Amino acid sequence: MNAAIAIDKASKRFALAGSSEGVLALSDLSLQIAPGEFVAILGPSGCGKSTLLRLVASLEQPTGGTVSVNGAAPGLVSAQHALGVAFQDHALLPWLSVHDNIALPFRIAGRAVDEAAIVRLIELVGLRGFETARPKQLSGGMRQRVSIARALVLEPEVLLLDEPFGALDAVTRRQMNVELQRIWSARQITTMLITHSVDEALFLADRVVVMSGRPGRIVREVAVPFARPRSTAVMRSEEFHRMVDDLTGALDS
Amino acid sequence: MRQTLLGALGIALFLVLWEVIGRLQLASISWPPLSDVLVMLADPDRRPLFQRAIGATLESTALGYLWGTTAGLLLAALAHLLPVMRRGSDRLAAVLNSVPSIALGPIFLVVLTRESTPAAVSSIHVFFIVFVSVSSGLQRATPAHRDLFSVLGADRLRRFARLELPAALPALASGLRLAWPAALIGAIIGEWFGAPRGIGILIINAMQNFQIVLLWCAVLLAVGSSLLFYGLLTLLERTAYARFS
Repeated sequence: MNAAIAIDKASKRFALAGSSEGVLALSDLSLQIAPGEFVAILGPSGCGKSTLLRLVASLEQPTGGTVSVNGAAPGLVSAQHALGVAFQDHALLPWLSVHDNIALPFRIAGRAVDEAAIVRLIELVGLRGFETARPKQLSGGMRQRVSIARALVLEPEVLLLDEPFGALDAVTRRQMNVELQRIWSARQITTMLITHSVDEALFLADRVVVMSGRPGRIVREVAVPFARPRSTAVMRSEEFHRMVDDLTGALDS
Repeated sequence: MRQTLLGALGIALFLVLWEVIGRLQLASISWPPLSDVLVMLADPDRRPLFQRAIGATLESTALGYLWGTTAGLLLAALAHLLPVMRRGSDRLAAVLNSVPSIALGPIFLVVLTRESTPAAVSSIHVFFIVFVSVSSGLQRATPAHRDLFSVLGADRLRRFARLELPAALPALASGLRLAWPAALIGAIIGEWFGAPRGIGILIINAMQNFQIVLLWCAVLLAVGSSLLFYGLLTLLERTAYARFS
């Protein structure tokens, strides 16, 4: 298999003042994500799931093992502007309008701004009429939509989502999940989603990987059987509930 | 509202006290009543004198402000982009700031002309404030924004132009506000080294000739122009904070 994201026996140890060993955040972790696959990484806080994403995003270097994106080092992929990312903190620039925030990746890449692509994305994330608004004037959910549009605008090879809806209330979060599902179905970009919500992981992903902490490792992998496009009806099915119970159990163990 | 009212009341009380103390000569003869000072300021015969003085001082202040701001901004940006320069520029700024400007005056007088010494002293004051505020402002981008630019593959210059510089603008605006009074003081001190005219010259002349009311006129002019621009720059600072943070 030619994996889009290949993590091979990756370890990450952080230095810690007063400790010669430091903290082992990840230990010998291996994970392959196929092209066009949506994988959710589920785990309690502090289990190293964000560290895993930061390795793929080239924000951290592994202290052991290898991480590659389409066969190349993540740093190279990032330098080619082929990574899309959305964080829990929306990280929109407060001095730019919605339009300019979404156009930012073009400007960072030194490419001509593709206005048509921006119009399509603003439409896709349901923000028409808000092009000139500033992040401060938007609700939390709207900011995350802008952040997701920005992550998609360069048509990245890989989409990295680090708890993008973690700071939203439960109702908005569910709506955003439905929307992300719809947006993702239109593009099918290889995606790695970090979350601590079992519902979110099952609703969005093709495969759910459960991690356990100290040091971070994979304790469970589950293929999600639901056909796409998925509606909220899926979340009410018996199968869904059974899998939620199963994964919640895996999280607790 | 209540704050504003109390503030106005405080100022009114201060002005009335000034008048009363001067009128009754409770302090000394060098404390004139406020009304005498205001009458002299409004005297049409003296208007050309005041206009020339404040005009010359404001010109030097503006020049020094411009040069100091440009130098402070450039050095802070260079030090930020070229880590090799960081330590050296910090020290240079610290040393410049620790030298009293009154001691620098004679050097400027030798190197420059009498006319340009006020602007030079003023620019030194401004340089330090702008350098410090921009240097700290350039560190102000949030970790999430830095991460975003890294993942998107931003190079050093684009990161600077699109993230660090805009994020530093509120700090720059604060620096610009604080730098104005410092620029004015610099210009007045600079004038004491033999400038042909200016508020500083007016102060010296009035003092040496014991023209107390004239001395107070000069001081009021300096304070007034300082406060006016300080107020305007405060508005600029507010705008910068509202827009860029």
